[in-house]
Amino acid sequence: MEQVHIAPLVVFRILFGGMMLASIVRFWLNGWIEQVYIKPVFFFTYYGFDWIKPLGETGMYAVYFIAALSAMFLMIGLFYRMSALLFFLSFTYIELIDKTTYLNHYYFISIVALVMILLPAGKYFSVDTYLHPEKRITHIPRIFIFTIQLQLGIVYFYAGVAKLNSDWLIEAQPLRTWLQPHTNIPVIGYFMDKLWIAYLFSWFGAFYDLTIPFFLAIKKTRATAYFFVIAFHVLTRVLFQIGMFPYIMILATLIFFSEGFHLKVLSFLERGLQWFKKKPAVVEYKQYEFKSIAKTLFISFFVLHFIVQLLLPFRYALYPGKLFWTEQGYRFSWRVMLMEKAGKAFFYVTDKDTGMHGEAMMDNDLTVNQEKMMATQPDMILQYAHFLKEKYQKQGMKNPKITVESYVTVNGRGSRLYINKYVDLTMIKEGFHHKWWVLPYEN
Amino acid sequence: MAFNRLFRICTNKLPMKLKNKIVLGITFTLVFGIGVSSCKKDNEEEPLPEDSFDKSGLLTNIGDNLIVPQYQLLKAKTDSLQILTTNFTNTPSLSSLTALQTGFLQAYTAYQWISSFEFGPAETDIIRANFNTFPCDTAQINSNISSGVYDLAAVSNIDAKGFPAIDFLLYGKAQDNNYILSLYTSAANAANAKTYLTDLVNELKAKTDFVGNAWSSTGSNYISTFKGNTGSDVGGSIGMLVNQLNYDFELLKNARIGIPLGKKTLGVPLPEKVEAYYSQQSLMLVMEHIKNIENIYLGRNKTNVDGLGFDDYLVHLNAQYGSGSLNDAIKNRFVAAKTKLAAIPGPLSQAVLTDAVLVDQAYAELQQLVILLKVDMPSALGVLITYVDNDGD
Repeated sequence: MEQVHIAPLVVFRILFGGMMLASIVRFWLNGWIEQVYIKPVFFFTYYGFDWIKPLGETGMYAVYFIAALSAMFLMIGLFYRMSALLFFLSFTYIELIDKTTYLNHYYFISIVALVMILLPAGKYFSVDTYLHPEKRITHIPRIFIFTIQLQLGIVYFYAGVAKLNSDWLIEAQPLRTWLQPHTNIPVIGYFMDKLWIAYLFSWFGAFYDLTIPFFLAIKKTRATAYFFVIAFHVLTRVLFQIGMFPYIMILATLIFFSEGFHLKVLSFLERGLQWFKKKPAVVEYKQYEFKSIAKTLFISFFVLHFIVQLLLPFRYALYPGKLFWTEQGYRFSWRVMLMEKAGKAFFYVTDKDTGMHGEAMMDNDLTVNQEKMMATQPDMILQYAHFLKEKYQKQGMKNPKITVESYVTVNGRGSRLYINKYVDLTMIKEGFHHKWWVLPYEN
Repeated sequence: MAFNRLFRICTNKLPMKLKNKIVLGITFTLVFGIGVSSCKKDNEEEPLPEDSFDKSGLLTNIGDNLIVPQYQLLKAKTDSLQILTTNFTNTPSLSSLTALQTGFLQAYTAYQWISSFEFGPAETDIIRANFNTFPCDTAQINSNISSGVYDLAAVSNIDAKGFPAIDFLLYGKAQDNNYILSLYTSAANAANAKTYLTDLVNELKAKTDFVGNAWSSTGSNYISTFKGNTGSDVGGSIGMLVNQLNYDFELLKNARIGIPLGKKTLGVPLPEKVEAYYSQQSLMLVMEHIKNIENIYLGRNKTNVDGLGFDDYLVHLNAQYGSGSLNDAIKNRFVAAKTKLAAIPGPLSQAVLTDAVLVDQAYAELQQLVILLKVDMPSALGVLITYVDNDGD
């Protein structure tokens, strides 16, 4: 296997750990741990992961502390493999608690963390190798760096493919809706409610996503491409509330740069860290020992992982109906900022034994955000209906029937009835099978 | 600077052309980032392009012609309520009681016209919960009066004060003014009752004065902040207006109509849960309330002068609903909802028992309006629905 210098992977490890640490600290300081994982009484778990439960106040803060600590250890390269594993587990556990907070970039972080466990990113410029210089290596198989590059490339390319739909390209939706409120931004604000700018952004956005991995991969176009990476993500940061994602992408895409670039970054860091100087810098050449079993295992993982990555986003094609409407196969597919969807659901309960009927007012079952996210996603509506069933059964109603009257708007088309309002949702099972009770989308 | 050093190290071997590009990129990023973050505060004087919607004009209209005058009206009515209360407690009589009841209903009506503005100063003073948590807790009120010891600021007294408590104190269950009068003259706790009534009215007035002054251009001038905050972020004025309008409208639908109708109790009506249960003015107040919400939408003031409102904004955006415009759909729904509300024979506490079908029809109409205001309108405007939970009302 072709050997390349480990520097790009090591810089990626440092940046990734640092960004994760910053993300977690930001989440913590915003009071979101409390708001998202402690306060709610009900959580929308993923199908098959019902056993994932939040751990209460002390527990959740402890998990976040572990995630933050392991992210920091990743950054400095201490107990590398254990830290990567712990970070992957704690972060993924948190994300599995409630699909309300699903974000493509959280999914991306989980995947990268998983891959990082398998990569020898702690074997250079780390506390581990400072303490055990004999473990230090300088060169690794090219496939390790390629794994990260390919993963990033898939994120961009599939986000681009998802934009190739008529709403995005022909109607310039949802950008037409999302850009127009921003007329107060200096300089570019003037253009934000012009229709042509919505088309320009839509088409440029699709072109950017589809091509940027290739432009970053080619040496000749790399610097220009990176300029566009910065400009693109800064712009999205200014226009939309998407948290840390732009920064993560701006830093993560540095992995496409040459080893020379990354060696300079490391030597700069080294100069900043005086205590590192006590030991002589490594100059000797040392290859990563890729034992044949490990090699077979890694290549198997690589092949399997990327087959899943390449196919999963297309699973929606197995379901009938319009994807934006039914959302069957929508998640885990890099459909980023793709549609303006809003809704409102009214639940009703009927006592099947007495015929008494009323509205199941939500009271404080759900947070504002949970209610908002649920209203446009059928699997969440079903989960909440099942929660209501149990709630009424606990109150002594033996046979509650739960129905929902919900209205949803997609990309500026007027709201319309979403779920068949006569269907007793307590009789519907959760799962990946087709949700026939979602009404067909009619234009 | 460390950054410069890093940059030099990183770009040592890059050709000059690429270096320039990177410099350009970083400069662009910095200038852009700084420009955006620093200009968030002083964006008042940005000249708007001709074909942009005049958001500043909308905020100016709603602020100057609706919010500020409606707070001034509430202030006038609470001032007058305080005077009438003093008159009544000094010389309790049937005539001073009737005068006070009239003044009370006028103030309660004026409150309906500011109820949707629970952001900025009103949010600071939690006006909605302090003024209008209903139904009131009559046992708590009676115990406060008999002991004469209470802290109106305490959470436990949230449903023993404000308009609903005064409603109880001035009308009681008996609907008989001679009996009410006796509570302030011959009853054992008459002196305490007068003090309690006075304290409740004083709190209303003090908080109204505070909020009115906070909005006033001669006071804390929140009106200027409000008008200047044309941003589209969560704290922007348009976002706050849309969110609070929706929050308030859902309270109108659920707390004022739905719960008394028995929507939450499997169809079992709860007539005592209506707003203004004792004076039996629920329907009149609901009608005033929905008129205010309609006016905010239309940008129309109390004297029917129509300025820039959300209707104009939606028309500007050419927002569609079904085969027509979203604006027409919303306007028609307001008319339909008011018609259905007007068809309910009063008082509401009786209608939920005897004319439940009519109340149900009004409720269904309000529900359709909720969908348009909470789903279609914010989606078309690009406004996020993000209000936090509130236990008020």
